[in-house]
Amino acid sequence: MKNINARENIAAYSFLLPALILLGLFLLVPALIAIYYAFTDYYLLTPDNRQFVGLDNFIAIFKDPIFIQSLKNVGLFVVCVIPVQIGSALGLALLINKQRRGNMFFKVAFFAPVVLSLVVISVLWLYLLNPSEGLINVILERVGINPQPFLTSPDQAMYTIVFVSAWQGAGYQMLIFLAGLQNIPSSVYEASKIDGANKWQNFIHITLPLLKPTSILIMITTLIAAFKLIIQPMVMTQGGPMNSTITPVYYIYQTGFTDRLIGYASTMTVVFGILIGIVTIIQSKVSREDDSK
Amino acid sequence: MKRKSKKVIEYTFLILLACIFIFPMIWMIASSMKPESSIYVDMGSIQSLLPSLDPSEWFQTYQELFSRFNVFQYIFNSLTYAIVVTLGSIVVNAMAGYAFSKFNFIGKKVLFGLLIALLIVPGETLIITQFTVAHDLGILNTRLAVILPMIANIFFIYLFRNFFNAIPDEIIESVKLDGANYWTIFWKILLPMSKPAIATVGTLSFILSWNDYLWPLMVLTDTEKFPLQVAITNINSTPPVFTNQVMAILTISTIPLIIVYIVAQKYLLQGLGGSGTGIK
Repeated sequence: MKNINARENIAAYSFLLPALILLGLFLLVPALIAIYYAFTDYYLLTPDNRQFVGLDNFIAIFKDPIFIQSLKNVGLFVVCVIPVQIGSALGLALLINKQRRGNMFFKVAFFAPVVLSLVVISVLWLYLLNPSEGLINVILERVGINPQPFLTSPDQAMYTIVFVSAWQGAGYQMLIFLAGLQNIPSSVYEASKIDGANKWQNFIHITLPLLKPTSILIMITTLIAAFKLIIQPMVMTQGGPMNSTITPVYYIYQTGFTDRLIGYASTMTVVFGILIGIVTIIQSKVSREDDSK
Repeated sequence: MKRKSKKVIEYTFLILLACIFIFPMIWMIASSMKPESSIYVDMGSIQSLLPSLDPSEWFQTYQELFSRFNVFQYIFNSLTYAIVVTLGSIVVNAMAGYAFSKFNFIGKKVLFGLLIALLIVPGETLIITQFTVAHDLGILNTRLAVILPMIANIFFIYLFRNFFNAIPDEIIESVKLDGANYWTIFWKILLPMSKPAIATVGTLSFILSWNDYLWPLMVLTDTEKFPLQVAITNINSTPPVFTNQVMAILTISTIPLIIVYIVAQKYLLQGLGGSGTGIK
């Protein structure tokens, strides 16, 4: 590194200062003190009695049935929402990736839910899915299907949240897929046409492989966002019925904020944060290997 | 003939699909524009997706809502938070991006590596210790507590840095010879050349701030400081709860976003898809 001088150093750090202070206060410090608090019994209302308790919290959270349940719940959510949402997004992108009258209307329609915030979709679907007088059950009855309990049933609540989340997010990823599709030169398809390939073969051997970078990007961002699920269950089910929709971030919120058990919540933060970190690193490793091929 | 029927099937399918995506929004708006009792009388008929047949009833719900709750205050709060966050985010993240792009300084590589590593830290899981930091800073229940954590964003710093990297150093060197200082270069040369990056960061910041729910819910206790998103769940749990009034507040909170998405549509994709493999 040449040309380093004091003036340039001072100038650089003054430009960095506001960002560094804010990131330090609201990202780095919270991450570091979470690790420290994880080993204490810090209760917000008696801060002076804070004591070091070693690994007690770590042992306790893995014996905590609600924490275990929350991990299972978010696992189910991730496993369902990824294929449903990304599959829908790809399907929609393929559907509107052609010249057709009124195509713009369909594109806008599929994108419309993206504009709604998570709080808005949660409240809105709470009313639509009301078991006794919601629009969905009224329509289902019209076409001869029995009314469903949806969010009020421990068996259906998480799948309902999967549907609502995918419904909201698919339109945005559809646009990203569409951009990816339009980057594929038409000459590739013309060449395969000469070779006698049909539409299905085109899709499997040309479209899908060429969409791989786009798909991986979408996978990573959806995966990380899915792990952090909280607003939909918080607004729609409060984690119920029978803890069937409680998620780790929501449980961290309940123990740390509602019950003020900072130490215990920090332990879950550390464990769950590391879990997400590992998944993120694995995902981006896999995608980097793919890039270098 | 065969081609024509194929087309009919295709369009029927597309229209049905489009209905799944838009009927909730239409029901939301329609229900906000009719009396409470009509919502449940209409349920399931085509009238459930249309506002009241009597236009004089269209905005009655809104009048009732505004008389029960201080909705103007909530709108003002949300707009203030979103605008301050947007401007702050553009300036603060562009400054940091400028430092990483155009300066040689001690610790540059380490610091940049640290930021990229911090990208992996899932912010939302840190809400509890973020709350204790806000508590220790003594900013709980202030507007500052809502705004400050939303401003600095590693991804936006990265986006600005990449954008500035594409601006040739020669331009900067030549104005430096004319005696311009770093601040002038940043403010008068770089920022005016970075309109696409500013638009992308600005749009995304506005949407993120407008939709923020959990954090303001945690740090604010005075209702008069609530943004709309928090006001929604507050209104939805303050008896008596009227469906048409809830749908009205949902509609109100969505209108600014519709405008933002229409005005800034071409910048939205760059936030994620346009930056290639993005966050790495």
